[in-house]
Amino acid sequence: MTRQKVKMAFIENETARKSTFKKRKKGVLKKAHELGTLCGVPICVIINSAYEQNPEVWPSRETANQVVSQWKTMSVMDKTKKMVNQETFLQQRITKATESWKKFRKENKELEMKNVMFDCLSGKTMVSRIEKTELRDFVYVIEQYLKDVIHRIEILKRNEESSTALVPVAATTTSSVMPVVEMGSSSVGFYDRIRDQIQSTLNMKQTTKDLDLNKKQW
Amino acid sequence: MVKMKNESNLQVTFSKRRSGLFKKASELCTLCGAEIAIVVFSPGRKVFSFGHPNVESVIDRFLNNNPPLPHQHNNMQLSETRRNSIVQDLNNHLTQVLGQLESEKKKYDELKKIREKTKALGNWWEDPVEELTLPQLDGFKGNLENLKKVVTVEASKFFQATVPNFYVGSSSNAAFGIDDGSHLNHDLDLFSQRRMMDINAFNYNQNQIHPNPALPFGNNAFGHINDGFVPNYNINYRPEYIQNQYQNQNQNQSQSQNQNQNLSFKRENISEYEHPHHGYPPHSRSDYY
Repeated sequence: MTRQKVKMAFIENETARKSTFKKRKKGVLKKAHELGTLCGVPICVIINSAYEQNPEVWPSRETANQVVSQWKTMSVMDKTKKMVNQETFLQQRITKATESWKKFRKENKELEMKNVMFDCLSGKTMVSRIEKTELRDFVYVIEQYLKDVIHRIEILKRNEESSTALVPVAATTTSSVMPVVEMGSSSVGFYDRIRDQIQSTLNMKQTTKDLDLNKKQW
Repeated sequence: MVKMKNESNLQVTFSKRRSGLFKKASELCTLCGAEIAIVVFSPGRKVFSFGHPNVESVIDRFLNNNPPLPHQHNNMQLSETRRNSIVQDLNNHLTQVLGQLESEKKKYDELKKIREKTKALGNWWEDPVEELTLPQLDGFKGNLENLKKVVTVEASKFFQATVPNFYVGSSSNAAFGIDDGSHLNHDLDLFSQRRMMDINAFNYNQNQIHPNPALPFGNNAFGHINDGFVPNYNINYRPEYIQNQYQNQNQNQSQSQNQNQNLSFKRENISEYEHPHHGYPPHSRSDYY
């Protein structure tokens, strides 16, 4: 819709300011109307600007008077509990945005670590290449994943005991397909690892077709 | 447009739209310098209001039909200016945080894409745990445990090696460079490193990992033989002998049986490390690099 991002600051240019005011005022009133109608609630808007001598009142003076008088009857506590001005409102928005940002950062860190973990397991990278300061967090991520794996193993073992096999048993040698984790340097080159791995998964795919069909889309 | 039927949806809608309305009003005030008051009652009979400069003053003016103040006293002008600048600061701060949030979200999407891409390669162990079979899980568990061991060892080496920084107290250890020189870039976070690796994947050169003989604390992760130039401190490391080093600094280069003596010998030799401009020993053989 908008082509440029507007800088959220007082518009110095008088003509631009006036036209922006007209447009946005229209938009605010439209939104207020939608809110009132969709939710069936009393609402009024009063705007003072340099462009009008008298305050602009919406929806009408009558309605506004009604809303305001009802507002006046409320206790100070009730009135001010949800009352905001620019400062408080912006501060609230900042707090919310900061929390959301922190959550995403944490999530991203975990995803990154998971990717690196899988890369280490498949031989794409080596533990030595990881930034040393990240190692502790990395251990934590591995531990968490390990917990999930162990938990899942327990569940499956319990199922096996209680009934006949509920899960399809994988046809072939699966663990031999997965590259074994080695420490530090490797005489097997990067090329070789990937080549071997792709070869084996190709072999595997042929024999475990039914497994593929069961795969959910993430 | 009519009132919504579903009660709970109505509540949610009210909450979201009210917030959006206040946001639009806030922008109107900032951009155009207008005053505004909005009063709205919620479905639950609570009252919400937004006002600039504040709800009460705008409402009073409306009720009393007061004309706008034609000329304000200096005091009011000053305080208003101050308030405006506070609001401006808040707006700037908000814009900044929203920008950070935006880029973090983009990063999230990109990371998800990378996962999809690697999934396509057919690494079954990257699938959700719930989709794996028991034998797969057993093998996977073994590998994870191995990986964990490797990482733990690496981590302990690193944190062990950094302790002497604290004890020795000089900045000379910075010249030692507690790393093995094989990082793509120290300053890149994991995400960027990985991206670079994706890009550089087929340019990867084994030989890039070269020994760093400047490590004094025996970080022999790659089995470097530092030719006895640097002792294997891992075994001998104890806080007491660090003090011994200081004491023994002026001793002769004697090859005594006492291991501590040996270390002080090394300490004298490595006095050149005190120069922070390079992390490599001053006289080393050319085939170290």
